[in-house]
Amino acid sequence: MLLIQCPYCDDALPELEFAYAGEAHIDRPQDPSALSDEEWRDFLFIRSNVKGVHAERWRHINGCGRFFNALRDTVSDRFVTSYKAGEPRPDTSGKEPAQ
Amino acid sequence: MTDFRVEGRGRVNRAKPVSFTFDGETYRGFEGDTVASALLANGVHLMGRSFKYHRPRGVVTAGSDEPNALVGTTRGKGRFEPNTRATIQEIYPGLTTESQNKWPSLKFDLGAINDRLYMLFSAGFYYKTFMWPRSFWDSVYEPLIRKAAGLGKAPTEVDPDHYASRYLHCDVLVIGSGPSGIAAALTAGRAGSKVVLVDETAEMGGTLLSEPSVSIDGRPAWDWLAGAMAELDAMPNVRRMTRTTATGYYHQNMIGMVQKLTDHMGDVPEGAPRERMWRVRAKEVVLAQGAIERPMVFDGNDCPGVMLAGAAQTFLNRFGVLVGKQPVVLTSHDSAWYSAFDMADAGAKVVAIVDTRESVPQALQNDARARGIPIHLGHTATATKGRLRVAALRINPVHNGKVGAEKMLSCDAVLVCGGWTPSLHLFSHTKGSLDWDAEAKAYLPGHKTEDVHIAGAGRGLWGIAAALEDGTKAGADAVRSLGGSAGAATFEVADDRTGSGITQKELPTDRSPGKAKAFVDFQNDVTAKDIRLAVREGMKSIEHVKRYTTNGMATDQGKLSNMNGLTIAADALGKEAPQVGLTTFRPPYTPTTFGAFAGYHKGAHFEVTRKTPIDDWAEENGAEYEPVALWRRAWYFPQAGEDMHKAVARECKATRESVGIFDASTLGKIEVSGPDATEFMNRMYTNPWTKLGVGRARYGLLLGEDGFIRDDGVIGRMRDDLFHVTTTTGGAARVLNMMEDYLQTEWPDLRVWLTSTTEEWATIALNGPNARKLLQPFVEGADISADAMPHMSVVECTVAGFPSRLFRISFTGELGFEINVPARHGRVLWEKLWDAGQQYDICPYGTETMHVLRAEKGFIIVGQDTDGTVTPEDAGIGWAIGKKKIDFVGKRSLDRPDIVAKGRKQLVGLLTDDPKTVLTEGAQIVADPNQPKPMKMIGHVTSSYWSEVLGRSIAMALVEGGFDRMDDRLHIPTETGGTVTAKVTGTQFYDPAGERLKVE
Amino acid sequence: MNAPVTSFDAVSVAVLPPVARFNLRIAPADLAVASRIFGLTLPAKIGEGARNGDRAAYCIGPDEWLLHAAEVDQSAIMSGFDTARAETPHSITVLSDREIIIGITGPAAIDLLSTCCPLDLSRMAVGHAKRTVFDYAQVVLIRDGDDAFRLEVWRSFFPHVHGLLEIGVRELAIGL
Repeated sequence: MLLIQCPYCDDALPELEFAYAGEAHIDRPQDPSALSDEEWRDFLFIRSNVKGVHAERWRHINGCGRFFNALRDTVSDRFVTSYKAGEPRPDTSGKEPAQ
Repeated sequence: MTDFRVEGRGRVNRAKPVSFTFDGETYRGFEGDTVASALLANGVHLMGRSFKYHRPRGVVTAGSDEPNALVGTTRGKGRFEPNTRATIQEIYPGLTTESQNKWPSLKFDLGAINDRLYMLFSAGFYYKTFMWPRSFWDSVYEPLIRKAAGLGKAPTEVDPDHYASRYLHCDVLVIGSGPSGIAAALTAGRAGSKVVLVDETAEMGGTLLSEPSVSIDGRPAWDWLAGAMAELDAMPNVRRMTRTTATGYYHQNMIGMVQKLTDHMGDVPEGAPRERMWRVRAKEVVLAQGAIERPMVFDGNDCPGVMLAGAAQTFLNRFGVLVGKQPVVLTSHDSAWYSAFDMADAGAKVVAIVDTRESVPQALQNDARARGIPIHLGHTATATKGRLRVAALRINPVHNGKVGAEKMLSCDAVLVCGGWTPSLHLFSHTKGSLDWDAEAKAYLPGHKTEDVHIAGAGRGLWGIAAALEDGTKAGADAVRSLGGSAGAATFEVADDRTGSGITQKELPTDRSPGKAKAFVDFQNDVTAKDIRLAVREGMKSIEHVKRYTTNGMATDQGKLSNMNGLTIAADALGKEAPQVGLTTFRPPYTPTTFGAFAGYHKGAHFEVTRKTPIDDWAEENGAEYEPVALWRRAWYFPQAGEDMHKAVARECKATRESVGIFDASTLGKIEVSGPDATEFMNRMYTNPWTKLGVGRARYGLLLGEDGFIRDDGVIGRMRDDLFHVTTTTGGAARVLNMMEDYLQTEWPDLRVWLTSTTEEWATIALNGPNARKLLQPFVEGADISADAMPHMSVVECTVAGFPSRLFRISFTGELGFEINVPARHGRVLWEKLWDAGQQYDICPYGTETMHVLRAEKGFIIVGQDTDGTVTPEDAGIGWAIGKKKIDFVGKRSLDRPDIVAKGRKQLVGLLTDDPKTVLTEGAQIVADPNQPKPMKMIGHVTSSYWSEVLGRSIAMALVEGGFDRMDDRLHIPTETGGTVTAKVTGTQFYDPAGERLKVE
Repeated sequence: MNAPVTSFDAVSVAVLPPVARFNLRIAPADLAVASRIFGLTLPAKIGEGARNGDRAAYCIGPDEWLLHAAEVDQSAIMSGFDTARAETPHSITVLSDREIIIGITGPAAIDLLSTCCPLDLSRMAVGHAKRTVFDYAQVVLIRDGDDAFRLEVWRSFFPHVHGLLEIGVRELAIGL
């Protein structure tokens, strides 16, 4: 069971309080009707499936209730960092996964 | 009987004799004995039969690494446990144990015929032997293999025991309480850290318990140990836990530990948990698990009486038991020499020390000669004599690789030592790397992935002084990592027994190696020959060799066999060990009961059972229940002599004719509140909300972004800026999560807040022509007449004096109300309505009747009539889409090519030609019943019931192009081989014009 | 409501009488308005609590507060917020019946909670509250003292949670 840093609670808390919510930084288009079928398909279904550091969404569902983003290494299953929804993906090049 | 107990030795309590049974015979031991030590004290070495060849086997180790001495233990009904290690199970008065894998008896076992047929059972025999004829697999081979395979026999009764769980948080977790673990715990404890020290056995001390001759800080080892324990116990920041095995090491220093609480007790307190699973989060971990002694691989090395030299030393010093009176010691490591000395000093006549090495420290040789022990250096062992107990060891000199003339050494025990393997299983769980140390010929801890420190023999150090020094250093390092400061303690150790040794493959022999039964893995009956065969047959990776031979795959996970297997495989491949690799250790470290994993989750607490405020009433009134999501819901209310069919028919009739009462409390309820609530609702739901007046309600349909139906429910407008949203029972949490997701991450600019009120309200539904008449007298503060309160409206008022949100809605097609009152009043209100309803023959109904009544009206149930691939158009509820809306969740997908394509499955009604036949839900539908198999299935039945009001069966189904098949006849093959024919219809079977809602 | 109590000397578990409970959602910038209406300065940081007599407020999300008050004050508090709504948008929802409150007191309180709660409770300050899990149930846990906690659990989960606590009390009483 992982400890996950909630950027709203500013605390590392048990994984049991959290729920995974898919890949991060996929914004719902402002005007979906303007998208071609292919563009809409990509928005709906196409995900990066990263091997390595992955930007993903979590919700502190059994805590403060907030959705937030995190960078997690999918190989080691270790979190690099977490940040609030709406914030840009931090540059973590060269940074070691957090313990 | 206690022939082999040595006076003045051991730590067992001689004042407390304990009787127990093994295979029906009563034996006596002492408090503090294990089954193994007590049996050995009685001269019993034969404790089991092997898994494959049913060879007689004796105890090999004194600890949790034991592969052979596995017994079944019994403590009354339902409390049988197979494969208990006799070296771990403590005896208590009345303990009943039995040997395994034997028939009819341990000493005479017919299964031992397998031993003669061993050629059939060599590596990969499963893959080779049972291939032909094909038809034999199901009828002959598989049943036979199932019967013969497996260690011990599985319990057949429900486990009546309780199992506990606990979370624990600490600064420093020290695993293993030998000298290095104790030193680490003392050091961290003295520095004020919150320390937990655990050991899998009943007593702390580890090696110190087997080495009483050492002195530490001027005190005999055991006095020093007692002092250390007292000091630890006096620290409030230190917790000591015995009989506690760290079974798995997970991310971020989470360690799973299983504590055995009662298996050692004669009298178990009533209701006491048997084991407790500890989930420990430690800031720092110190692994001080020591090293595991390796057997030597030679023909007959599995004969009872052949055991590890270190184990013999432990049985002597910890339990006061001589494992033999005339032992031979066979070794490649200095440590076994000390075992020989201790045995001799305790009165055994040590027949000889046979060392495979040509050169051994002179001091050891002097000490042996001083005790009159003959020494054979540079010798190999080539056979044992004896079947149920070793009687002699055949040894031969080896010179320049040539095996010389044999010599037989008569003996009653052979004490072997093939070196020591650092115990790094837990470290391996963390994916820490194990690096080959060419000098130590061992894998030692390399790159670490966790905040962990490895101390003592676990990283290849030898001797008690080194262990203490390394342990205190690990403890101090851990404290420093925590930001504290601690100095390493110093220890003065005298009479330490340091030493070294070599690692080797199977011992050389003058006989045919192909005939040698030189066991590598005792538990899975894998021999050196099997490993060489696997390599010859093309297995090049150790992972392949492991799976082909099953070496290391038994319940001991190769604690004794992995290194010997690797050494032999490397030799066969002509490579160095590190090039062949190492198999991965996985949790659990030792076999763990399912009970420990399950913890409290059994019986009533197997999972959450949610109950409504009216659940008690239903139970008192004989309801049958069905699970819906985590809830249990009243399914139907059978009266005397009624089956479900009759009860549901009666409930349906009563509701349609007068009035039925239904507990709808499980429906999800969400308060959507804020200045932008309408905009939010417009974006989430397919329907338009802007023009919905305060006090009115509307059916809401929620899609996923993919355009498929996710949920539905009636939504009432309480204020301009407040909606009372209802969801399906199972969808409540999911819908709230989805709404929060959009609100927080896509539309954070909207001023809207969401609150779950599912459980704030108890919800009682009244349906039927007399519903208003029944309800009216209870209502204050609202006019619920047909004119004042039309269908699909909501009002705040009081009902029976309780504040209420009262909806006029209908999921049955009848005049209907849903009364929401604060949950604590739910049952009281129900009973008031129940009493008043007697004049109308009020009928309580359950979910089954609710399903029938709604199906008669063609109302869908999301998740039953839809399955995550159904659009509003597919379900025939395209009317719920706000056609003028620019956007809502899922709208864009309704134009996707696949969604607008022809031939989608659409929800239609089915009326069977025979009105009495009720279709099976889930049944597949075909257009032509006479087509060859496999038939093309064009849909399936989603809902199917007997309709009492229509006097016939009704069904709904998802059918390819269903809307274009109206009045067609389709066919539903049944499980009994027949076919039912049904006509395609619309889904509104009853009162399609909705006349029944218009009750004045 | 009757208050069934399960206890031995080290810990007791009691069902506490209901109080008026509210879920308040408001922009943190408007917290002063809410504090004025409620008559108690609402804490600004997640996890913190404030208490004065019958009134208590716990911050359990960045814009979410759990408010406690005497039952007789429930409608007055709702009216107070109602009046302010047009000026200061917010959401206040009565939840007095959603949860049942369980009191857990005694020197073994943390041991008992640790049977099913994964948090390191030694890190939780007295007077603080947080939403977390107890076994499979979401709960709000309030720490009233070194040895005193309250657990607020959704009504339908109460039988499960209370049953586990009773098992835990028996286990602790046996002392193994």
